[in-house]
Amino acid sequence: MEQPLLNRSEIVVLQPSSLKESLKLLNENPDAEIIANASDLWPRIRNGEVKPKKLLDISGLAGELSYVKKDENLIKIGALVTVSQLEGESILKEKRFSGFKDVIAKFGSPQIRNVATIGGNVCAASSSEDFIPLLLAFNAKVKLSSVDGERYVNLEKFIIGKRKINRRPNEILTEISFEDPGEGYSSAFEKIGRRNTLIINIVNMAVVGKVKDGKIEDVRIAANRIKGKIPERAKNTEEFLKGKALNEETIAGAKKVLSEEVSLTDDFRASAEYRKALLLAMLERLLFKLRGEQ
Amino acid sequence: MAQMLVKLNVNGIEREVLVDPDDRLLDVLRDEFGYKSVKEGCGTGDCGLCTVLMDGKPVLSCVIPAFQAKNHKITTLEGLNNDPLMKKIQEQFRAHQAAQCGFCTPAMEIIGWHLLSRKKGASKQEIKEAISGTLCRCTGYYDIIDAIYDAGRPE
Repeated sequence: MEQPLLNRSEIVVLQPSSLKESLKLLNENPDAEIIANASDLWPRIRNGEVKPKKLLDISGLAGELSYVKKDENLIKIGALVTVSQLEGESILKEKRFSGFKDVIAKFGSPQIRNVATIGGNVCAASSSEDFIPLLLAFNAKVKLSSVDGERYVNLEKFIIGKRKINRRPNEILTEISFEDPGEGYSSAFEKIGRRNTLIINIVNMAVVGKVKDGKIEDVRIAANRIKGKIPERAKNTEEFLKGKALNEETIAGAKKVLSEEVSLTDDFRASAEYRKALLLAMLERLLFKLRGEQ
Repeated sequence: MAQMLVKLNVNGIEREVLVDPDDRLLDVLRDEFGYKSVKEGCGTGDCGLCTVLMDGKPVLSCVIPAFQAKNHKITTLEGLNNDPLMKKIQEQFRAHQAAQCGFCTPAMEIIGWHLLSRKKGASKQEIKEAISGTLCRCTGYYDIIDAIYDAGRPE
């Protein structure tokens, strides 16, 4: 079905085959829109929401940027790792990374998972990007590469608004990394939408933490729409929970802190009130998951 | 920029085609190659009806730019017509009357084929997960699930 569009066929497509070449091309064409496997951006270009004059297609860099590895104590994920590839990674099969399994199971559809990349998910920075809360809870950093070199930015500082990221025009996000929290930690993610597959969340939440002898030694919580329209950490709730025994009383207290910390809004997907009820129930379920209960 | 010359490998046939930068793989498969089993439902990556195999994996041809399909092997239902497993799946679709309007049938059969070719005797739960991103507005899915399930069982 053709829709009325503006000179879409005039787009200039740049298809480099190495990172070095990509960085040089991007430096010369800072107005180019970067595409990996395009599953998020392509429909938006087709319907005219995004009107790029130039596209820098980095899918040819899959050989360079499709790694998942552990380097010292850092887990490093190349920007072009697809969701399906992540699913098969042995490093992430450890219990403390089970939040990844949770995100993957609810991510898009099987067909989308075969092309969507983790770098693309982070750079799209929209409410459908379910990896962001989990990566925030892992305290992830992004690596931005350009002809000038590399810089690392905390994911928290990288995502600055809905579809707004802290990327300079000549930079490409090449890697996402976070510290392996180590034995004893666990992670979990939940998402609720109108149906199970291919749905944008009403709310989602990710938790990374360590519970030892019934006590919460450490916890990091991130969820969509804590304050604005992007995923953020629930730091007051984290502070409240740290050091406390994981029991009904603590959870009741945490729910109170979280409900004061969030400022949810109504939209066409759900009311603020419903969102809040879901978020509080999720907090309880995810905290119990940290303790190893389902 | 004018048209781009892209070498595509579809159903084992290599061909160079001229594409516009905004052409989708879907457009090229239907209009250049004539593979009409590939259907456009939503055109936004939500319905699964344009599913084809890229390097053996199910993908949505409506969200893949045609220029990105180079260096990949694309397979549509037409390319599996003589495959014994696909014949079995199609027999079961007929036996279960798993097609009504037929618009989702090529996508469902390709996904069933992909699942069963990796895992003979897939469970109904696995079939449900495999087709979870592909919509059917007629059958209520049960006949489709049963057809794929029976095609995966020993004769």
